[in-house]
Amino acid sequence: MLLKIDMTGSIPIYQQIRNQIALGAANGTLKAGDSLPTVRQLAGDIGVNPMTVNKAYAILKEEGIIVIDRRHGAKINLFEGKGNAFDPEFSHRLALLVSEARRKGTSKQDTLRKVSEIIDLVYEQEGL
Amino acid sequence: MILTLLIIQWLIFGTMAVSIVFYKNFNDNQVLGVTLSRKHAGSPEVRKILKSYQRDCCLVLLLSVGASLLMLVEGIRSYAEFFMLVLIMANLFANWFVIRHYEQELLSVKKKNGWVYRRTSIVTVDMDVAKEKGKSGISVLWTWLFFCLSFLPTVFLLIQPETQAYYPIALSLIGPLCQLSMVYLYYQMRNQHAPAPGDDSELNKACAGAEERVNTAAATLSALAMLSFWIFFNLSITYGKGVVVTVLPAVFLIAALLLIASWQQRKIRATENRFFGGLPEDDGNVYERETTWKWGFYYNPGDPRIIVPKRVASMGWTVNIGRPAGKAVGAAIAIGTIALVLVAGGVISFGSTKDYLVTGSGNELLIDAAMYDLTLEKDQIIGLSTIGQLPGGTRTNGYGGVNKSFGHFSLDGYGKCMLYVYNNADEYIVLQLNGDNPGYVILNDKTREETNQLYQTISRWMEE
Repeated sequence: MLLKIDMTGSIPIYQQIRNQIALGAANGTLKAGDSLPTVRQLAGDIGVNPMTVNKAYAILKEEGIIVIDRRHGAKINLFEGKGNAFDPEFSHRLALLVSEARRKGTSKQDTLRKVSEIIDLVYEQEGL
Repeated sequence: MILTLLIIQWLIFGTMAVSIVFYKNFNDNQVLGVTLSRKHAGSPEVRKILKSYQRDCCLVLLLSVGASLLMLVEGIRSYAEFFMLVLIMANLFANWFVIRHYEQELLSVKKKNGWVYRRTSIVTVDMDVAKEKGKSGISVLWTWLFFCLSFLPTVFLLIQPETQAYYPIALSLIGPLCQLSMVYLYYQMRNQHAPAPGDDSELNKACAGAEERVNTAAATLSALAMLSFWIFFNLSITYGKGVVVTVLPAVFLIAALLLIASWQQRKIRATENRFFGGLPEDDGNVYERETTWKWGFYYNPGDPRIIVPKRVASMGWTVNIGRPAGKAVGAAIAIGTIALVLVAGGVISFGSTKDYLVTGSGNELLIDAAMYDLTLEKDQIIGLSTIGQLPGGTRTNGYGGVNKSFGHFSLDGYGKCMLYVYNNADEYIVLQLNGDNPGYVILNDKTREETNQLYQTISRWMEE
């Protein structure tokens, strides 16, 4: 899987690493059990401090997306698949994104089409 | 001594010339610090500018070497160290000026042709490649072995203590320190960012593996060159006769490191062409570096951090001069560096130009010299004589130039001495003291006649 990190953007680098690994795990690019590079390897390759990668891995671990084993390093966790993602936090974040799109003048149809495209992108890859 | 200074200068000029000529090579989408795509870097306009740049670099080298020969002129010879310092500074400035001039020319060409790249920097990392890092290169054990072998001169000094007279044991630890930097270089080269130019992970992995082999081989060869230099250097100091023999290992090291760097760059380019040469160049991968880096510092007013990691994070930290506090820290570093250079230059100039002033006042003999003033009581001096030749020995804490030597020295047959001598006078006054630290003060004046007058003056003062 390719990570594309914007070094000059406003989104913190650890957040970009976290987001892309989370997306990869969701759309099947990264499968359960796939090992991730060590903190030092990834930090050296991106050209950032190891603490930055460490922070991203810590968040991913907290979210249950990866598991960290002392001997085998970081691995993608098994999908829990309980289907209970729609908690208040999820709705709140989605509402914020939709509100932002509306504020920028996007119509309801355009927003629906875009969301549908993204859903297709995530669910249709690897036959999920 | 003049020959040594000339060789040192030529080595510096040569190294500078080769470094700045290498700087014109297209590397990581940059030419002379200006962002250009490979296609634009190969355009006739850019090639013409780089040809002129190379010509001017050679011109600076030739002028510098030519100017250094002025040290052989009698009037300038007296101020050789100061002249050398001025010449090195002038050479650095001329090289900087050439780089700056052609950098501006490249920027003008870029502006005229409307070569605009995106302002954001996207780093692409293939996670499969990152996982394989460190598995394809030459083992680090070789560089550690070379580090252990660099202690051989220290062991030799311990086994044969008499050689410590030529070569203090503390000095023999400089080699292992330099060798340790080669181990560090190995890890740096091995952990370099592996490019992921394609979407095919297998191809990316193969390319990264090949590059890692080249990079680690270059680091291992550099470590071997450093070890060879260190061993030759020690042998030349202990057994070699003449300055040239001592300088030869340094020439070998610089030549070897430049050859290795050139080989590594060619191999990396060849590897990338072999794996991805067929792909059309994507100008979308090129981004403007000048947006975040200025004069070697990080420049990003939008970033609240003051201290940020360097471009290669493991190389340490730098200052964000886009922030007011960062500007202050950057200015302090710049002022500190300039002050350090000025102080070093001032000390060398002062030491090489200030004459000794010897005056007898009452019961005291005052020797006024740069940094090493000395006052002697009459009853401290137990003997006064002259010698025609200065015995061999080593400088322990002092100044040894072309024309003058002063400060603390250890001389054969005399032990610890204070020297205040002009090297070309062929007549020296020896004051024997009633202690052994120092046991003697040796001084003279610029000529034999003046030295004889000084001897008479000291002699009269002692009889008073």
